[in-house]
Amino acid sequence: MHTQQERDDFLKLLSENQGIIIKICNSFYKTKSDREDLAQEIIYHLWKGGRGYNPDFRFSTWMYRVALNVAISSYRKEKKLKDTILFSDKPPEMEDKIFSPQLSEENSNLLQQHIAELKELDKALIILYFEEKSYKEIAEIIGISETNVATKVSRIKERLKQNIVNAKK
Amino acid sequence: MNVMEDTELKEMWKEYDQRIEQAKVLNLQAWAVNLQTIEYLQAHKAKTKLGSLASFKIWMVVFGMLWVVVLGVLLYGNQGKNIYFTVSVAMLMIFTLLANAVYIWHIVLIRQVNFSESIITMQEKLSELQASTINIVRILWLQMPFYTTWFWNSKWIRDAGLNFWLTAVPITLLFCLLSIWLYRNISYKNVNKKWFRILFRGKDWDSVISAIHYLDEIEEFKNR
Repeated sequence: MHTQQERDDFLKLLSENQGIIIKICNSFYKTKSDREDLAQEIIYHLWKGGRGYNPDFRFSTWMYRVALNVAISSYRKEKKLKDTILFSDKPPEMEDKIFSPQLSEENSNLLQQHIAELKELDKALIILYFEEKSYKEIAEIIGISETNVATKVSRIKERLKQNIVNAKK
Repeated sequence: MNVMEDTELKEMWKEYDQRIEQAKVLNLQAWAVNLQTIEYLQAHKAKTKLGSLASFKIWMVVFGMLWVVVLGVLLYGNQGKNIYFTVSVAMLMIFTLLANAVYIWHIVLIRQVNFSESIITMQEKLSELQASTINIVRILWLQMPFYTTWFWNSKWIRDAGLNFWLTAVPITLLFCLLSIWLYRNISYKNVNKKWFRILFRGKDWDSVISAIHYLDEIEEFKNR
């Protein structure tokens, strides 16, 4: 059983890091219900696994690991059940201000669309890069070398830029 | 617009980030109310997600053990009177027990799945667990020749004469060759071969095949 203090601490951390969870959910799923399901699942695993947090790592490293592992595993499982339709030109069918706060800006939408089209691991990597994590921390979260992170980030950025430029033509 | 700078990409992300921050979409109170519900809902859901893999393997262990019991009863009933029957059934028991041991090992690994491991480690473990069902099938194929020998007996071999050597023995040899060939060739590297897709087609095998492909993808991601 968790104590009230643990619950309060967890809620405080969650409140401070809610943006991370929302961005991960937005990058993996299109519909409001799928995003909410994923957010719940991430929060559950963070809450359940909180006691297993290893203080050798930064809290954010642990949180990103759990959140991205849950997101990738859930996405892969869902993908087998149905062909997930990635972002199209149409807006998400069930907009919600929690998960898609007025994404009317063309640029934000474009970037989201193209991130959503990346493979799961590339997607995780580029989210961490945009979240301004150092290559060292990205390497710890993903489990590859810093050099490999640098190479991949560079390639994914180029691909994103190219796709966005092409989409704007 | 033909060229795009890194800073532009980052600006796009920041813009998106600010929108989420500005929205002030969630508050502590809301989560405080929801946490118990989330806990309740997910505790049940977790059982159907990762747990579904475990429960499939648990059922296989149960069926495997029941099969071992049936074989044991048959073996006990025969009391070693027919050496062909005794050896065949004993071998079937050994292979079933081996497959069960692998299933039990998998269940232990599933129980140890830890979402706070690095993404590559965790995803590799999960996919390996799904994909390794193939390894159990390899072991089970090896028992096939013993299904062609359990009914042999000395009297039948004597009476059948040449027919025994021209029919029963070639069939058993054929099964031996086939099972050894399958044991050697059922592996991740042959997943795209036509015979492999025919052997492992159907909804139940799709997740296993997908896990094998994902393992390749992870390997490529690590080394690329």
